[in-house]
Amino acid sequence: MLGKLIKHEFRATARTMLPAMGALAALSLLANLSIRGLTSGLSDVPVLRIVFILILVFFGIGIVAAAVMALVIMISRFYRNLLKDEGYLMFTLPVSVHSIVWSKLIVSLVWFLLTALLIFVILALTALNLSNTNLEMIIEQLPSWNDLMQMLDELGIRSQVMTFLFQWILAMVIGTLVTCLHFYASMSLGHMFTKSKILLSVVFFIGMSFLFNLMEMGYGIGVAGTADTARWDIMNGAEAMRFVSSMTWHGIIISAVQGAVLYLATVLGLKKGLNLE
Amino acid sequence: MAILECRDLSKRYGAIQALDEVNLKIEPGRVIGLLGPNGSGKTTLLKLANGLLTPTGGEILIEGQKPGNESRSIVSYLPDRPYLAEWMKVSQLLDFFEDFYDDFDRDKATEMLLRLNIDDSMRIKEMSKGTREKAQLILVMSRKAQLYLLDEPIGGVDPATRDYILDTIIRNYNPDAAVIISTHLIADVEQVLDDVIFINQGKIVLQSSVDEIREEHGMSVDQYFREVFRC
Repeated sequence: MLGKLIKHEFRATARTMLPAMGALAALSLLANLSIRGLTSGLSDVPVLRIVFILILVFFGIGIVAAAVMALVIMISRFYRNLLKDEGYLMFTLPVSVHSIVWSKLIVSLVWFLLTALLIFVILALTALNLSNTNLEMIIEQLPSWNDLMQMLDELGIRSQVMTFLFQWILAMVIGTLVTCLHFYASMSLGHMFTKSKILLSVVFFIGMSFLFNLMEMGYGIGVAGTADTARWDIMNGAEAMRFVSSMTWHGIIISAVQGAVLYLATVLGLKKGLNLE
Repeated sequence: MAILECRDLSKRYGAIQALDEVNLKIEPGRVIGLLGPNGSGKTTLLKLANGLLTPTGGEILIEGQKPGNESRSIVSYLPDRPYLAEWMKVSQLLDFFEDFYDDFDRDKATEMLLRLNIDDSMRIKEMSKGTREKAQLILVMSRKAQLYLLDEPIGGVDPATRDYILDTIIRNYNPDAAVIISTHLIADVEQVLDDVIFINQGKIVLQSSVDEIREEHGMSVDQYFREVFRC
């Protein structure tokens, strides 16, 4: 049933996300043409110059808007689909609350990652365009995966780099899920009450942010207290990487704990305190 | 076994006692009117049967089990409000119901919708209020469920639509199932009911067959309701 929920969740979100991503891609094309235009003779025409600059401004706004759009869709889907009238349909389906929450989490995660990837690619291409770099030349000069691994082996840091890469991906995925769950749990708890549901959701959001910040600070102080600071000045590259890796693990663990707490709060609110109007 | 059973079922919202130690048994194969004035606890009872609310006391059982995934696959529920996403096309709604309910008859739903000139490509937001209510009912009644819980299916629609809705319910329900129709518009539904349950201020006042009321009291259910609930 999770697969079916994900399918319908994609259907509901793609109708907004795909056109938004398409519009951003089109805008980036126009922006890159404008960059070319500005650096060519065309910019001598005042009207064209203004048009090019306006397109670049809209491009900047578009990038921010695409990221905000993914966030807004994530929040509004949970709110409208589960906590308003559509909840009568969703919570009378023969599926568990866990499946419902996971379907929303997975689909939101995919849209966040796709949006981030799109923005990264667009910005990278724009940077290449700005610096007049030949893309083919860069691709030719990129080392192959095997060469890269050999290089890391020679430096003796292959395992550290791979661990770091794995940690980075894991931290990004968990961090995104925790962000979603922070909103979900706040709304889910806020809607257990009969009055001022939105206001209470905001109060829960701020309250939990405050508690988590305290928790991170306390944990950070605890972990830093155990570090051998006397050795920091004589650390070599590999040692420094091990230290960063260990700190990253701590960060991932604390995020995972926060995620678990938020997930339980979300499910508990929806299961026990569902209070549809 | 009773398809729906309440044992000392209570639900409290803060200071308000919405249901107060309700005891009830509903057998399959009957069309039951859940009748009571506004705020008497009808919607609360149906929400509890769907697991949309948690009881504060007692229990409610569907085929001997508490509301959950299994009960939801045999209960077809029509809430008292528009609950379909406005952006959805009819074809997407049919996909949705077909995906989640094994007992959903897509052909039957499509045929009934077409008879109302609602085609696959139409979106919910393009429908009038009456057409939306009919479309919702068609989806709910196109399931071969064991228990239909219909909350105010004829509230807020014109008399012609009322006739269409009642006719749709009677023509399409699974004869082995129980149908509970919650309403305060008794005169309109009386003709289709086998049994009635009178509910007031969260308490069951009466559970009886329509024939018994007519024979014992010599009046229609509507007249008897007015007498029982006289202000």
